[in-house]
This record gives sequence, C-alpha cells and structure tokens, in this order.
Amino acid sequence: MRNVLLGLVALCAGAACAQSDPAPGRSPLSSAAQGVYTAARPRLVQIRTVVTAAGRQSTLGSGFVVSGDGLALTNYHVVSKYALEPATYRLEYTSPDGTSGKVALLAIDVANDLAVVRLDRRGGPSFQFDARALHGDLPKGERLYSMGNPLDLGFAIVEGTYNGLVERSYNERMHFSGALNPGMSGGPTVTADGHVVGVNVARRFGAELVSFLVPGRFAAALLERAARAEPLSPKTVRAEIGRQLASWQAGLYKAVGAAGFRDAALGPYRALESSAPWFRCWASTNADRVPRPRAIVEATSCNTETQLFVADDLGTGHIGVTHAYVKSLDLNAFQFATFLSQQYAPSLSGWNRKWQTRQRCHDDFVETAGPAPGPPLRAVWCARAYRDFDDLYDVSVTVVTQDRGDAALVSKLSMQGVAYGEAAALARRFVEATRIAP
Amino acid sequence: MIWVEILSRHHHDVQARHRCPGPVVRIGRGYDNDVVIDDPYVAPRHLVVRRSENGELVAEDLGSANGTLVEPGAERRERVALDGTRVLRIGRTRLRIRDALQAVAPERVLRPAQRTWPATLALIAAVVLLQLLADWLGETTEPRLSRYAKPLLVLPLIVVAWTSAWAVLSRIFAGQAQLGRHLLIAMCGLLAIEAYDAVPEYAAFALSWGPLAGARVAGLWLIIGAVCVFHLRAISPARLRLKAGLVAALAGIPIALQALAQSDLGAGYSGERYVQLLKPPAFRFSALQDESAFFAGTARLKDRLDRARTEDSPADSDDD
Repeated sequence: MRNVLLGLVALCAGAACAQSDPAPGRSPLSSAAQGVYTAARPRLVQIRTVVTAAGRQSTLGSGFVVSGDGLALTNYHVVSKYALEPATYRLEYTSPDGTSGKVALLAIDVANDLAVVRLDRRGGPSFQFDARALHGDLPKGERLYSMGNPLDLGFAIVEGTYNGLVERSYNERMHFSGALNPGMSGGPTVTADGHVVGVNVARRFGAELVSFLVPGRFAAALLERAARAEPLSPKTVRAEIGRQLASWQAGLYKAVGAAGFRDAALGPYRALESSAPWFRCWASTNADRVPRPRAIVEATSCNTETQLFVADDLGTGHIGVTHAYVKSLDLNAFQFATFLSQQYAPSLSGWNRKWQTRQRCHDDFVETAGPAPGPPLRAVWCARAYRDFDDLYDVSVTVVTQDRGDAALVSKLSMQGVAYGEAAALARRFVEATRIAP
Repeated sequence: MIWVEILSRHHHDVQARHRCPGPVVRIGRGYDNDVVIDDPYVAPRHLVVRRSENGELVAEDLGSANGTLVEPGAERRERVALDGTRVLRIGRTRLRIRDALQAVAPERVLRPAQRTWPATLALIAAVVLLQLLADWLGETTEPRLSRYAKPLLVLPLIVVAWTSAWAVLSRIFAGQAQLGRHLLIAMCGLLAIEAYDAVPEYAAFALSWGPLAGARVAGLWLIIGAVCVFHLRAISPARLRLKAGLVAALAGIPIALQALAQSDLGAGYSGERYVQLLKPPAFRFSALQDESAFFAGTARLKDRLDRARTEDSPADSDDD
C-alpha cells in the first residue's frame, strides 16, 4: 500500500493534527469478522508483480473476485509496474488456498486508482457490491471489514468503521478508520453481510488508523466498462493513461473555474485564491524566527492534494498556490532583492528525466491590463512536457511585484499534469489578480 | 680589433665577450684557437674570421661536420659576411662577431625608477572595498564579521600565489622577477574581476535576457586571459601577438567546455539560475510587456517542449 497523500502529513504538524480523531476500534473484535472472512476467503487473491527475467516477485497487492468468469478488482498502483513495462514484468495471483495462476490486465482507472484484471480460473463465488455504498448513503459509523494480504504475512481481516467521505477532497475517497497495511491495496472492504463498499487504497503516514477506500461505485463503473470495452493491450496502456489523465485534469480545471476565485489580502497587495473547497490553505510567518529576520515573510499556501499515482516515481495532478508578502525591516534595496531571490523559486521542482522533458522558462517584466493597471511584475513561466502523455505538462507561473524596493509580493502557481491551454487560462487569471489594494 | 660574443639561446643576450686583437680570429673547441668554445658539437677547428678585401668581416667554416648556420632560419653557409647584427650558430652555440667600429645606441637618460607601490596600494584598497561592498549588498541575515573576513583572507593568498608564479617565470625567462610590476598587473586584474562580476547578472535582469547571465563565466575567463597577456608582456614584449593568440586559445578551452556542458544539459539549464535572480526594481531597463505578449511568449514555448518530447530522449541527456 502506498501513501499517495504524504504531502499533507508534512503540512499537518502541530495543532491541526492534535485535533484529529482519536483511534477508534478499541472495542473487542466481534465474532462477525470470522463469519465475514470465512465467506470471503475463496474470493480473495494476492496479486503479485513478477520480474519476468528473474521469476521473483517485485511488488505485492491484493484483489477480489467479482464475477464467476474470473474478473477481479484491484488498485491501479498494484498493477502499474506491469501496465507501464509489460516487457519486464508479468502479473500472477495466489489464492488463500495456495493455488496460483496468470493474471491479464483488462482495464484501468488511474484517477480512482482501480484496475480490472482477469484471473485464469473460472467458477467459484464472487463478491457483490453493497447497494447503499453504490448510492452513497452508507451511514457514518457503519462497521466495515477490510481484507487483503498485509506485508505478505497471510490473508487477514481488519475491523474498522466507516467515517464518511473525506471532506474537501476533489478525488472522492471514503474515510475508513481501520488498520490498512502495505499489501492490502486492492483488497475489498465489506459490510457485515459481506457486500463490497470500497477498495483499500491508502493510509496516512504519521496518523493512527486513518485509511482510505475508493468508493465502490467507481469500481462497479469500471467493471461495467471493462465488460463492454476491448481489453487493454500492453501497447495501448500508456496512451490510455495519458487519455485518462487528460480528461481528469480537464474536469479538475473546469471545477476550479466553476468554484470561482476570491482575493487574498497580503499586506497592501491582493492576489488570487480559489474558492474551491478542496484547496487546503496554510499560513506561515517568519516573525518568530531567531535570530530576528531582517525582512518579514508572511506566506499562505493552498494545495489541492489531488495528486494521482501514475508510477512509483511519478505522481501528478497537484495544484498549488503560494503567496508571500515580503517586507524589509532593515535591508536596503540590494539586500532585499537578494533576500527575495532566496525566497522565491520559479523553477519546477522534482524533475524526473524518465517522465518529463527538461523545463524551459519564459520570463519578462509584465504589466497587467485592465481598468486599473496592476503593479509592474516580474513574471516567470516554467514548463516541461510529459514524454509519454500528449498535451500534459508541468507548469509554474511566478510573479514578483516590482513597484517597491523594500516590499514585494511573491506569488507562485504550480500545476502538475495540466494541458497547456488550461494552464495558460488559469495562469492568466492568476497574473491579472495580482494587484495593489485600492 | 674583433669582438666575439657568445649569446644566450633564447634572447641572444651576451653571455661572454672575447676581445681578439689580431686580424684573424680562429674559433673552435681546440686550445689552439683564439676563442675556445666548450660545446661538444663544435669542431676543434670550426670557424675562422678574417677581413675581406673591402674591409668587412667574413666568417669561413673550416670543414666542420655540423657546419656554420646563419640565424634566423639556420641556413648552412661556408662563408658568411658579417655585419655586426648577424647571429651565427656553430654546434649549439650562438655567436655574434663585431669589430670596434660597431655603432651603439645613444646613452639613455637616467630617470628615477617608477614607484609602483602607491598604485598597487590604491588598487588593493579598491579591491577590498568592492569585495566588502559586494558582501554587504548580498547580506540578508545577521551581520557576521567572519563572512567579511573570509574573502579578505582568501584573496591575498590567491594574489600572492599568482604573483609569485609570474615572478618566478619572469626570473627564469627575463632574468628579473619584477615582483612589483606583476603584483600591479594582478591587482588590476582582480579589480577588473571584482568590478565585472556582478555586471552580467544586473544586465540580464535589467534587459530580462537570460543569456547575458550565462555569459558571465566567459567574461571572467577573458579577463583572466587579458591579465595573462599583460604578465607575458612584462616578461618580454617580443612576439606579443603570438602569445596573446595562445592565451586566447587557452581561455577558449574553459569557455568551450562550459558551453559544451550547458548544451549537454540541454538549453534552458543555465536559465534555471537566471530566473531565480532578482535585483532592485530600479534596475529594470526593458519596457513592461503587455500581459498578452507575455502569454504569447509562453505559448511559443509549447512547440519547443513538444519537440523535446522526442528529441532529448531520457537516454542521451545527463542527469543532474
């Protein structure tokens, strides 16, 4: 199991975390778990990614059978290595009774981290979806049982509670208070009567029992799609991933636009902030630093936490907005400019040559149009293209106000895995919104 | 009276001068000569100098194996008319033969030696001030004395090492160390570097033109090259063009290497440092761009990125 949401953990230090839910599930395990597991056992599989040349496993995950003819569901990230490098890896499954066999990849849903595979066996029982979960009216507090093979120690069942959908999250995820562990990815989480409500997907590091499930309705939808569509061929997987990322980002940027924008006040400056609820914002200041800073930095940063897992070394889909109002206390104009240079980083970070081209930047002094012209800006646009995915780019736009020598607003908008047009449209709003308060 | 002068190999300085009163001078390795030369490549009886009918000096080879050569060009001749400037080579020895009527340059008027130390001191002060200024303008945290002291310790060490190296070369090739002169040249160079160092970045910011900042290193090497040429001129002004050409070629090597490394890393790499760079807004020189023009520029970047998708494949560019 992979923590795809590590980003927030780093931000969530101190007070915000202390208020998070205490660990649930202290009550003794009910005997219900035994019944659930016994019924589910023949429907569970462990899905292994095997290095073809060595014949040994490389990564492990779980899966569950959903049809009599061998269709099974798992996470995309469980099969991603094979999906991206079908020449190097192959997929295998192992049942709780020790039988094993080949696995074929039929369909993927990158945005929801799901995959449909076909096991080379027929017959046997299969899981059904819980009707309430499909309609999204599963009550909070419902007892759930999560199954899979944690850390290759053997199949296990974990009891926990459903705590609703994760609030203010663009990607719909169920909040499951139970102990998910690496290896349980792709396993089912079921109700007491054995119906699937979601697919194990992630847990939060640095937290207790905070785990996430992909809602069952996405799994059911993918299953339906897989039954109708052509199965994926190894050659078309990358193109399919690119297509899914492109349509997902189009939805995201449309939603950002639809949610509207508001002004953030930073000293005498005004800057763009999204009103979308899934931007989580944090503030920071250096006022309490020792030794006493020679320029005050008041910063806000808003992130969407919408990063999607594409490969072990590639996550994409994140939008971040940072604004920093920097005011000199006793630095002269030259020192202040040096301080600002240290303060802002217009370049894109985290370059992975395998996935992205080298970034190229365009910079200039810019004057925004409009009824009341904004302050002169130094604007830098840096972008790099994804090699395998057409019309997907990482883009950052950074502006620094140039109206004063002793104070400035440094704003940066970073967008991962975005179409060039969407990026330019949002960047334009971003630049235009940088103004001096009337 | 005939003077036989034995010259140094490189600059034809006189190493020994023999006064021969007779009308004929015999030169060779044997002790029956008027001028005895301890050079194993010289025949025991190598050369004889006598006056011709019209009174000018003529050298005649006495049938030596290595012969008598006329410099420059090392042309082998049996009989050479001597005009007082011609240099002969026998074996590995250079000779110049003159008679008492040889004209000499008029006496030079003695001027008091130029004192270079006031200029040097002024230069040192300027360099120190510039360095302190650069450090001060770059300071954004607590002022610390050590930060200012460090370059003041390192710079003198570099200057001493640099000047000493040139003084030693000077001593070897020109016979005198000329420490003061080399120090003056080194300090001039250092001042030029100090003054130049920040210019490309300010210019790049002012004009919003990244390649200027990238050219900084090339400029530094050119200054270092120019300093070397001045040092070489101090050692000997002879063949200065050739030396300058050589230095330029040498300075070209690091410049070319840097350009090569940058092109290996792909265009735009040096730009990452440049876009990070901010100067006071007052230094902005280029006009404010219209917002639409800026986004037209970013749109043009798209084609280059799309080309890079296939062109710079991950296999053939360097990781950084």
